[in-house]
Amino acid sequence: MHDDLNWAIGGEAGDGIASTGKIFAQALSRAGRHVFTSKDFASRIRGGYTAYKVRTSVDQVQSVVDRLDILIALTERTVDENLDELHEDSVIIYDGERTEFSDFEAPEDVTGLDVPLKSLAEDAGGAIMRNVVALGAVCAVADFPIENLDESLEKRFGNKGESIVENNKQAARLGSEYVEEHFAEEGPRYSLDTTDNDYVLLNGDEAIGMGAIAAGCRFYAGYPITPATDVMEYLTGRIEQFGGHVVQAEDELAAINLALGAARAGARSMTATSGPGIDLMAETFGLVATSETPLVITNVMRSGPSTGMPTKQEQGDLNMMLKGGHGEIPRFVVAPTSVAECFHKTVEAFNLAEKYQVPVYLTADLSMAVTERTYEPDEFDMDEVEVDRGKLVDEGDISAWQNEKEQFQPHAVTADGVSPRALPGTKGGVHMSTGLEHDELGRRTEDTDVRVEQVDKRYRKVDTAIEQENFDYREFGDSEADSLVISWGSNEGTLVEALDYLDEDGVNVRVISVPYIFPRPDLSDEVKAAEDVVVVEANATGQFADVVEHDVLERVERINKYDGVDFKADELAAEIKETLA
Amino acid sequence: MSSENVRFTDFKSDKQPTWCPGCGDFGTMNGMMKALAETGNSPDDTFVVAGIGCSGKIGTYMRSYALHGVHGRALPVGTGVKLANPDLEVMVAGGDGDGYSIGAGHFVHAVRRNVDITYVVMDNRIYGLTKGQASPTSRPDFETATTPEGPKQPPVNPLALAMAAGGSFIAQSFSSDAMRHTEIVQEAIEHDGFSLVNCFSPCVTFNDVDTYDYFRDSLVDLSEEDDYDPTDYNQAKDAILEADKEYMGILYQNEDSVPYHEAHGVTENMAEIPDGAPDGATDLVREFY
Ligand SMILES: Cc1ncc(C[n+]2csc(CCOP(=O)(O)OP(=O)(O)O)c2C)c(N)n1
Ligand code: SF4
Repeated sequence: MHDDLNWAIGGEAGDGIASTGKIFAQALSRAGRHVFTSKDFASRIRGGYTAYKVRTSVDQVQSVVDRLDILIALTERTVDENLDELHEDSVIIYDGERTEFSDFEAPEDVTGLDVPLKSLAEDAGGAIMRNVVALGAVCAVADFPIENLDESLEKRFGNKGESIVENNKQAARLGSEYVEEHFAEEGPRYSLDTTDNDYVLLNGDEAIGMGAIAAGCRFYAGYPITPATDVMEYLTGRIEQFGGHVVQAEDELAAINLALGAARAGARSMTATSGPGIDLMAETFGLVATSETPLVITNVMRSGPSTGMPTKQEQGDLNMMLKGGHGEIPRFVVAPTSVAECFHKTVEAFNLAEKYQVPVYLTADLSMAVTERTYEPDEFDMDEVEVDRGKLVDEGDISAWQNEKEQFQPHAVTADGVSPRALPGTKGGVHMSTGLEHDELGRRTEDTDVRVEQVDKRYRKVDTAIEQENFDYREFGDSEADSLVISWGSNEGTLVEALDYLDEDGVNVRVISVPYIFPRPDLSDEVKAAEDVVVVEANATGQFADVVEHDVLERVERINKYDGVDFKADELAAEIKETLA
Repeated sequence: MSSENVRFTDFKSDKQPTWCPGCGDFGTMNGMMKALAETGNSPDDTFVVAGIGCSGKIGTYMRSYALHGVHGRALPVGTGVKLANPDLEVMVAGGDGDGYSIGAGHFVHAVRRNVDITYVVMDNRIYGLTKGQASPTSRPDFETATTPEGPKQPPVNPLALAMAAGGSFIAQSFSSDAMRHTEIVQEAIEHDGFSLVNCFSPCVTFNDVDTYDYFRDSLVDLSEEDDYDPTDYNQAKDAILEADKEYMGILYQNEDSVPYHEAHGVTENMAEIPDGAPDGATDLVREFY
């Protein structure tokens, strides 16, 4: 049957849903299949509904779809929640001993396989392994060689000892055998090809963490918040191996100030948070910018405002990052458009921060941060990582930046807007810096000319960056098409898949995916050349659409989704079609 | 770190302080500069972080690497500086409002982290820069424009807060007793771990209660008490909680204190990084197989 398989496990939070899902996802990726995972989770620790979905194919997959082929349902609600996605060839694996599907509401032609997950798990050594029994059952239904599970079971349970690993392997086999024996005749079967490729499987938060270490980030301070915490969890225990350190701060105010301190001492330094944390950091953000300290501030966006829907998707913080804070100050906003770009743009963010001595907002949305995707490992080529520390001066060249009294000028007015930077410990570079308006020496001033000179100097960096950097966009679809779709953030993957649906309907579009929000590519020519322009984003008001309109002085259409759920490729294709019609 | 021939005037910037004549902050700052020079530090290897307030202006008047931060957040900045480069001598200074009001949360956590920084609070028991409102150390009956009948709340006891948070060096000084103040800051610098020096630094413009005369008459110098042992936790606790007396000197010192960077193995200067991805970075990718 289809090689593009959609699988899910659902149950209550606390049922081990995520780790079971991950074991299967890893097994698939080790078997040379592409994987795209998504998580449906609520903001609670136990109880409630939670699910982990895996889409897999031998071809690349980069979005969720509305179809579920195999479902492990640990609770009745799991079936209810997914009714819309079930079809006549769907197979549901459940444990009749635990879940009584008295009024089995699934469509009639769906096949339900009652597998005694718990009893079989007990036979293998403990009830706790019932999810693994279920995975074994899935292997039978999907004709996926069960040996492929072994390595991910070893990875997951290796540190718990050999016997635990063996028991789990046994549990999987019992599940598979049970299906072969009892349901040999029943229901549809799938068939999953394997390939010789070994992919890596990671999510956006992990890619950001890995990018940070690759870029030489040594200091991280943060305060836990969904969905940014994974960045901190990734770095903890790893960054130390590279001479770095993670501090769990008492709050976001402390986090950004700790990171600022480390940056002034010369470390490549980062903090990560989500919307509410960005609000708290806003005051210090201004200090980072006026003191011209290089700093990467990662904002993994979730649904706002206030605490909003903390575990749901949204791209609602763009205005805050572009304009937030009192007064006016340039800042860079970089927004990766895929999991792999999370890695590459993080490296770039550190370089931009140091080259221009500015705070850089690096932003991912929840969907990109928590969904895992497979890549060829050389997508993350460490040999290609370049580190540019900008205008650092040492003892030898410091005199060029001193005034006649041999005082170092950390805010020297330069043609490109970037001043020299002397790290503490550099002889002759002693200076202070402040959030007060200051002169070239960093000293407080209210002198009108100096004020204007410093404001201009700071904004001049933006022009320099636009000149020197390549703030480009990515392009997909038909470059000659009359219709233009513009997107930012995680919508790129979904749009790329939506192109197939549009193609089937004979609709040609050009897709532009923009990873730089400020400074950003000038889209005037592209917008003006198109007959119809539509901006797709996961927020209610169209914050990026506003930006495009502002730049181009032309109205654009908008497709907005703000219910907390990801765009789906087929849905999006239909909406685009309708908007363009 | 130590450098020869550094004199305390090397820590003086050429900027004239705009503090009111007679302000206690002059003495507090002079003592800090002398203590830095005495302990063999040089401006090149010293980092001073200051908060906001009259006290916070200190970063401008001293000569060293320095950052004048936002109100209440100087301690996290100092912590970040020290962890990123433990070779630097890090001093943090600010007012009682800065440290015990808006920054109170950071104060407690900086103490419990025991980062090796010296924190000097210029305690004038009032908000100076905003022109005379009650501070968290103001007396309950201290009348100001925003508290016409006094704050009617007990003042915070910063020394007790520090002790409760596991402070390893807790001291109090008085800006006009230049010698003792300098000595105390010097010991604070030499202490391995977080050192609090709460320095009474009278505001001659807005506080007519906690004056030079008041402190001169009431402060008891612990170094003159024969039987006081600052390493004795219980004795220190009693002195710190004593309601009727105010002390000067080192109230408590834990001689076994291990500073954060040593306890956590953060001893490298993080400013030094390679031109490309660090050695071993490829292993990071392999983990995702
Ligand atoms: C977020 C914020 N709130 C309020 C202020 C205004 N402010 C400036 S200094 C200060 C109080 C300073 O008092 P203290 O720390 O005791 O220092 P002093 O001036 O007495 O030395 C206040 C409230 C500010 N700068 N920032
Ligand atoms: S107002 Fe008070 S604290 Fe501020 S400078 Fe004057 S005397 Fe000093």
